[in-house]
Amino acid sequence: MITSLFWIVPISALLALLFAWIFYKGMIVQEQGTSKMQEIAVYVSEGAMAYLKRQYTVVTKVFLILVILLGILAYLGIQNPFVPVAFLTGGFFSGLCGYLGMKTATAASNRTAWAASKSLNKGLQVALRSGAVMGLVVVGFGLLDIAIWFIFLNKVVFTPEHMATGLHFLGLTFVSAGTDEHQKLIEITATMLTFGMGASTQALFARVGGGIFTKAADVGADLVGKVEAGIPEDDPRNPATIADNVGDNVGDVAGMGADLYESYAGSILATAALGAALPSLTGEMQMTAIIAPMMVSAIGILLSIVGVYMVRTKESATPKALLRALLLGTGSSSAFILIVLAIMAAVNWITWGVFGAAVSGLVAGVIIGQSTEYFTSDGNAPTQGIAKQSQQGPATVIIEGMAVGMFSTWIPVVTIVAGIIAAYGFAGGFHNFAMGVYGIGFASVGMLSTLGVTLATDAFGPIADNAGGNAEMSELPAEVRERTDALDGLGNTTAATGKGFAIGSAALTALALIAAYMEEVKMWLTRLADKSPEGFKQIGETLFYHNRMPAVHDGQVAVNLATSTIKDFVGAYDISLFNPIVLGGLFIGAMMAFVFSAMSMKAVGRAAGKMVDEVRRQFREIPGIMDGSGKPEYAKCVEISTAGAQKEMMVPSLMAIAVPLIVGVIFGVPGVIGLLAGGMSTGFVLASMLNNAGGAWDNAKKYIERGNYGGKKSDCHKASIVGDTVGDPFKDTSGPALNILIKLMSMVSVVLAGLTVAFSIFG
Amino acid sequence: MRKYIYLTSNPEALVASMLPPEGFGQYLSTGTKKRNKGQAIFFEVDLDKIEKLIDIDSLNKRCVAKPDGSPKSSVYLSVYKVLEIIPLGALKSLYLTTDHGYVLELAKVVYDKSKEPQNELHLYQELCPVSPMVASSLSPSVFLKRLTDGSIPIVLPKLFFVELKLGELASNPLSGSAEHLPYPNIGHLRDCLEIIKGEYEKHMKTVHRIFAGELLYRTIDTGFYVGSGDDIVYYPYPRMSELEKINYNFFRAI
Repeated sequence: MITSLFWIVPISALLALLFAWIFYKGMIVQEQGTSKMQEIAVYVSEGAMAYLKRQYTVVTKVFLILVILLGILAYLGIQNPFVPVAFLTGGFFSGLCGYLGMKTATAASNRTAWAASKSLNKGLQVALRSGAVMGLVVVGFGLLDIAIWFIFLNKVVFTPEHMATGLHFLGLTFVSAGTDEHQKLIEITATMLTFGMGASTQALFARVGGGIFTKAADVGADLVGKVEAGIPEDDPRNPATIADNVGDNVGDVAGMGADLYESYAGSILATAALGAALPSLTGEMQMTAIIAPMMVSAIGILLSIVGVYMVRTKESATPKALLRALLLGTGSSSAFILIVLAIMAAVNWITWGVFGAAVSGLVAGVIIGQSTEYFTSDGNAPTQGIAKQSQQGPATVIIEGMAVGMFSTWIPVVTIVAGIIAAYGFAGGFHNFAMGVYGIGFASVGMLSTLGVTLATDAFGPIADNAGGNAEMSELPAEVRERTDALDGLGNTTAATGKGFAIGSAALTALALIAAYMEEVKMWLTRLADKSPEGFKQIGETLFYHNRMPAVHDGQVAVNLATSTIKDFVGAYDISLFNPIVLGGLFIGAMMAFVFSAMSMKAVGRAAGKMVDEVRRQFREIPGIMDGSGKPEYAKCVEISTAGAQKEMMVPSLMAIAVPLIVGVIFGVPGVIGLLAGGMSTGFVLASMLNNAGGAWDNAKKYIERGNYGGKKSDCHKASIVGDTVGDPFKDTSGPALNILIKLMSMVSVVLAGLTVAFSIFG
Repeated sequence: MRKYIYLTSNPEALVASMLPPEGFGQYLSTGTKKRNKGQAIFFEVDLDKIEKLIDIDSLNKRCVAKPDGSPKSSVYLSVYKVLEIIPLGALKSLYLTTDHGYVLELAKVVYDKSKEPQNELHLYQELCPVSPMVASSLSPSVFLKRLTDGSIPIVLPKLFFVELKLGELASNPLSGSAEHLPYPNIGHLRDCLEIIKGEYEKHMKTVHRIFAGELLYRTIDTGFYVGSGDDIVYYPYPRMSELEKINYNFFRAI
């Protein structure tokens, strides 16, 4: 029965894509507004597409090199031969989501502005449903890729015939002869897990590149346009203003989409892999454990679609009513998914313990999102405290903002710790370790199950922001600007919650991936033991064997890989804090978070410098630019920001791929576990700090701009601008990119587990 | 094209223009080439009521459309000691502009002295012809009269000033909350207020001798006053919630 119910997964994925298409068509037929509005929208759209084209050209080259390297490893027998292809599909679908999301978002800005000229609710509907396109293509393509791979591997590759005689092609072994049903599902899920590396790699480039682009454009537009030339934000005379608008899409639509695509797929795949490896399960039960996370996600898609339709409000709605309407959409989807999970538990598709684990994840996501909102909203004490410090000047603004950012980490950390322990405990981890880690995986699946609607509210933010920019540049009446401001303010709130969700899901997914990494190690030990003439693989004093038990000497232990648990490997590899290799890995992981953040921040500075030079040049050389008779070269600024982003993103991105490889080869499995643990814990805390400090600085400035402490142009305002400028790369470049760093390092380790197990120097 | 006459407060000047108030405000704050930016505060003046005070022939010769047909932006008719010669009855609306050229019109109303709060301290930013910031225990009408009626050695022929917000400091200078008051050196302001509150004979104390030239519009309390002796013209400033409704662009820009 469970096998036939699996078809809900591809059907839901296709439904998500169908509704994304319906929402897209619904948006595209909306009135586009005045010719000026359309002209501006075309500039932004062309800039965004030019950026994506360049980004994908660069990333394609990197992908081709990595595919060749992975192919060589596969040929050497230390890599699953499907990995190069799975890697490509993960990257392709992630990139496709970014493209479709950007295309929709850029087309939606002028339509949203024009709809807002009629009513606030009409503006909300256009922006939200355009955001839903991004949300639904992410979950649709994510689940479709998983479903296709699962069907292909299950029905085409691992056929009874191939499992009996083996499947070999071009000298590569795709299916080992004698593979049993239990081993088949482990192989399938482990293979599928590797497509997450493609998604992660694409996501990192999107996040780092997008973050650098958006801040370089922002700084160029602000420093020269606003400060030097004295023209307001979103003024069409500012050459960098289009690049600034493009940047909103590049960072917050494509970047966030790729990030959550990776988390979404990664959490489902890691949980499926952990489900397949549950030692006590066989046959239908094992299949149920694999399919359950996919089913929950599939039903989550349906509920997300319902959630989008539930967001309705009166034509005369106030901003508060709009927020309530949005919360109704996301909250209802979450409530419904809990009911569905309870039904699944009642019919024994999942245990009540796994139900509890999923609830833990869902609750943790909401708490982290709310804590982000608390620490960064200007209605609360932390942000108002930063604004208050502006009375003493910029230095105290920086000190207070750093302190707020650091202090704000306690709620996400305590929440994630409680969520992990609760998920582990509910799933039965204190009696059955494997079930516990499966529960942790399910917590991340629960958190992301309604990603479709969560991401819709998140992508809504930049669309509303761009709509405001379009209204300003097109000189629409003040009441339109008032409405787009209200939508923008709403978008800021949902964006804060979305960032909390992104980092929370990244931590849980990374943790599930670490557990999945150990399963991958086990699989490679099995393969290497099978290949070795002795029939076993020795790790320390432990002899891991598969088919025949080896003779053991004094002090040695023989462990059957078929019945081994993660704890056997932990003992064999001496993965404890008393092993200096683990400690070394921990330190390197912690360092990675800081060095990576530093590199991305410095990259923003360099790229912004080039943008500043370009904007100054245009003001100097283009006659009539200030009186409106001369037209700025918008495309040139987009080009400068694009080129800067592409150049600057390479080193930090490649470092995230290279370091797990180097640590794996030198320090082996214990070093990798230390690296991942250090990177995850430090990266999670640092990302929370950077996101919240940056958000709080930004909103402290907005709090002053609303008239507190003298409002705009007061000394307090000037001090708060310094804080906001410092916080920009925190919250829009380094912080979000850390989400992906911790997942990508885990993914690279999972994919290269074969190399680490076979060739490490010290491990 | 119609001609308008404006009295700008900084610099104190009488200016003729073919631009209506909004366009003139934008011109003053951003210039024709939009290469400069800066706040401007000016009155529209009733030409009919000052015809005898200015050289109309010169005005008609100089204030003409440009060769391309575009309106003349500004013709300076007089600078220095302008406010004192313009009759209060000739002053029409007062206009405030932001750096980026958003303009707010303030209409004049009859000032009701009986509604002035008692026993409260005030903060006044004088704008024209002199421009110190002054703390005072005197209500606006009394403050104006004191400085213009010749009862004290320092006397002005006419005065244009604005009342600024003091919050809790208006009643409790020493320990009242100065939260959200953006004035530099709050300690000095507290001292000034405490001195005029404590000393019966002293009703005014200079807080800052020189006006920085930028009025933070969000700090304006009751509004703008101009007059001499008992003659007072009042331009009430809307509350922020009202301003948001009546002129969103201006509200958003300040």
